[in-house]
Amino acid sequence: MSKLPQSKRFGRAAIATSVAAGLVVSGLMSSSIGTANAAGPKTGGTLILLEHTPKLDHLDPSRIYTGRDLAFENSFFIRTLVAYNPVPGAAGAGLVADLATNTGVPSNEAKTWKFTLRPGTTFEDGTKITCAHVKYGVSRVFAADIITDGPGYLQQWLDLGKVEYKGPYAKDTAGQAAFDKAVTCSADNRTITFNLNKSVADFNYLGTYGVISPVQAKLDKGDAYDLRPQATGPYKIAENTTNQLKLVRNPKWSKASDSIRTPYPDEVIMKFGLDEQVMDQVFLNDTMYNAVNFDGPLPANKDEFFQNDKYKDRRINTNDPYSRYLAFNVKKMPCLEIRQAMYYARNAKAILDYAGGTFFGGTYSTGSISPLLGLDYEPTKVVGPGSPDFVATGNVAKAQALMDKAKTSCPADYKHATVDGLVIDISQSVTLQDTIPINTAAWARVGLKVSYNIIKSGYYSTVLNPAKQSDMSNSGWGADWANASTVIPELFTLEGGFNLCQNGDDPAYKDFKAAVDVAMKTTDRAKQAAMWKALDVKAMESMWILPTNYGKSQYIWGKGVGGAFFWQPQGTLAWGKLYIK
Amino acid sequence: MSIEIVDGASASEPVLGADEELKGRSPRELAWRRFRRNKVGIIAGVFTLGTLLSSLFAPFICKVLGLDPNELHLDQINVSTGLPKAYLGGISWEHPLGLLPGTGRDLLSQLLYGSRISFLVMILATVATLFVGLLAGITGGYLKGRVDATLGRVTDFLLAFPSFFMIVALAEPLVDRIQRLGIAHGNSARILFLIIILTFFGWTGFSRLIRSQVLSLSERDFVTAATALGASRTRIIFQELIPNLWAPVIVVLSLSLPGYLTAESVFSFLGIGVQPPGFTWGLLISNSTQYVTNMPSFFLIATVSLVLVVLAFNLLGDAVRDALDPKADK
Repeated sequence: MSKLPQSKRFGRAAIATSVAAGLVVSGLMSSSIGTANAAGPKTGGTLILLEHTPKLDHLDPSRIYTGRDLAFENSFFIRTLVAYNPVPGAAGAGLVADLATNTGVPSNEAKTWKFTLRPGTTFEDGTKITCAHVKYGVSRVFAADIITDGPGYLQQWLDLGKVEYKGPYAKDTAGQAAFDKAVTCSADNRTITFNLNKSVADFNYLGTYGVISPVQAKLDKGDAYDLRPQATGPYKIAENTTNQLKLVRNPKWSKASDSIRTPYPDEVIMKFGLDEQVMDQVFLNDTMYNAVNFDGPLPANKDEFFQNDKYKDRRINTNDPYSRYLAFNVKKMPCLEIRQAMYYARNAKAILDYAGGTFFGGTYSTGSISPLLGLDYEPTKVVGPGSPDFVATGNVAKAQALMDKAKTSCPADYKHATVDGLVIDISQSVTLQDTIPINTAAWARVGLKVSYNIIKSGYYSTVLNPAKQSDMSNSGWGADWANASTVIPELFTLEGGFNLCQNGDDPAYKDFKAAVDVAMKTTDRAKQAAMWKALDVKAMESMWILPTNYGKSQYIWGKGVGGAFFWQPQGTLAWGKLYIK
Repeated sequence: MSIEIVDGASASEPVLGADEELKGRSPRELAWRRFRRNKVGIIAGVFTLGTLLSSLFAPFICKVLGLDPNELHLDQINVSTGLPKAYLGGISWEHPLGLLPGTGRDLLSQLLYGSRISFLVMILATVATLFVGLLAGITGGYLKGRVDATLGRVTDFLLAFPSFFMIVALAEPLVDRIQRLGIAHGNSARILFLIIILTFFGWTGFSRLIRSQVLSLSERDFVTAATALGASRTRIIFQELIPNLWAPVIVVLSLSLPGYLTAESVFSFLGIGVQPPGFTWGLLISNSTQYVTNMPSFFLIATVSLVLVVLAFNLLGDAVRDALDPKADK
């Protein structure tokens, strides 16, 4: 839910916001929610999703970590223990039981969590889902060399003692024994218990992720499971080729066992690798009435979609939960002054304008935590609007002063940044040809030289590899659920799952990490929120990331598609609620 | 009557004139005369020359016109659409071909500067192809026997290769290798890669042509005579064969130049050639495809420029071939 999909534009995807956070933003969102069809939902037809990229990153439920894809999978073919309620507005952020009969029962100060499975649930081959299946699914995420890219909370939280468990594929008796103690099944194989090494009051939110979902050991082919996971939801994969992913009804799914899914279309087809201009023309001319743009329109076409009343029932323009930034690889850029100079010299206004200004592009970042996180959000006053030296087009004087200082305080890094040039990782996209010259020109104002390392596929797996990461990496992150405990530690501590800063050697790191540890142990939510705010300020003062903007997302669909609304916690459309008129 | 006048004018001149007629013309002169008669060829030649010169002197031209390909005119861009605010894609006296959407850079100067890389790749790849092809063709054609057989099989092998897909697949690893070896970095490495790989797959056809020419030439009397007189191999190759090969060389040259220009554009378009912030015609065209419907002027200017230049090169090539080899069928 958290990595920003590195698609062509600035926005896309998802976050989990709690009910509280949802209330804060509901006013903002309600105005942009598409109008539902008065005639009501209908069953039948084929829903077509058009996608620009050649394929989705992952289908294996344990490996999906992109909000939009999680929402897609969870809507159609993978059931999890609990799920977000697919309804419009703030209520959508509430948890509902899915495979379980409840949303999790904590005990022992939230160190033990119990989920009881609902009867009547099966895999697509008819096998009844038992606790052992869920337990096996959980064990897979420990095979870090095979089951990559998913969230890493289970590895951090499950109480395995000092044992390092290597997952079910390795012959690892000690590890397996420790795991069997941490995750247990009741005698009737219906209740699964998670024993954690610390109190995690919102552990059940992790239950919305595919990392806690049933997998049959005999059908698990490791890496290859990614191509065709076993369905537990109302649809199953009939075809997964280079051109399309086709879902058809799963006859083994029973409506009685599932209170949240309403499978209206007979088939769901996702078409891959389409040209973006072609996709936009499809919707502008409405030539595929039953299609939805899985991405969003090109910047050049947004005005037409969102200003012309012709499309008023077929569009959503809303704030998305991502905070976008450029991560500094602190190992390669240890000089604070240069990192700050990069921030001050950047022309934030030009880039935001390029993304469509405040109407389409969003707002300038004030830290690493998105405003949609409600309770944990407060402008840091270190960066962005509200900070003393913030100039939208770039504070060249301040940046120049910092560069002059760096010249004497860290000459080697100064030379690296001005003579050799800094290298920025960025994924292949159509906006590159325009944003690169804007950034290059802005940084050149203070003598900073940059070049770009354009990564065509496997963007995050490349930049998360310390051996391959360049000086800076373009990125975006949204909270996994409504607590900055899924932001600050994830981004800025070495244990975090998404640390692109490599900041372990930074002088500020030790104190920072100690403060994070304290915050993680704090159960008083209000106190914890204050700590996250303070840590956000510290991270910005250390300039481990260069925050850019909080974005917006746009969705468009054809005339024949009904039931579209923005699903707040997933930060995308509620795909499972779409129907063909 | 006329004889009388001629006679009357001067006694010696008609003799000289007749002498000149009798002297005949060198093949070069004949070819030039034939070329001059081809109007299309002349127009194409002038256009080509003009393009090459304006590309060569792009910095000078842009300075005179007051244009800078990297200067951003963000104030002239509509924020919510990204298109130039002014009518017709911002075409005005200051910006004769308008502005690029998104960044507001000047299109004319982008085309001029972009052509420098495109033409550089085109010329270097052509020269390298000719060199390798000539070397292999002469070696095979003159030495014959096992050398020729080996070269022939290598040529067959390369011709049978799906070169386009090879280039696409090899782009990343090879550019990476070039960078790690420290030969070149960034876009220079990409340009070098394009030249190397285009040459690698491109020399074969030309080598075949040269080989067949050499085979036929080496059976001619003048070569036999030279051999009989005890001329060395070097002398035969450099004095007897190569001077007789220039006609096919020029023809291939003029026809492969536009081919490589298109190839460069195609690979840059696909994102495996030059990358931003560098710009070539391929990148400009790929950028313009986003705006086909919203700002057709950008797309049309970028594509029509490429079409015109390639067409001019091809027409020039045809004219040169007709001039050098009038007996050949079109």
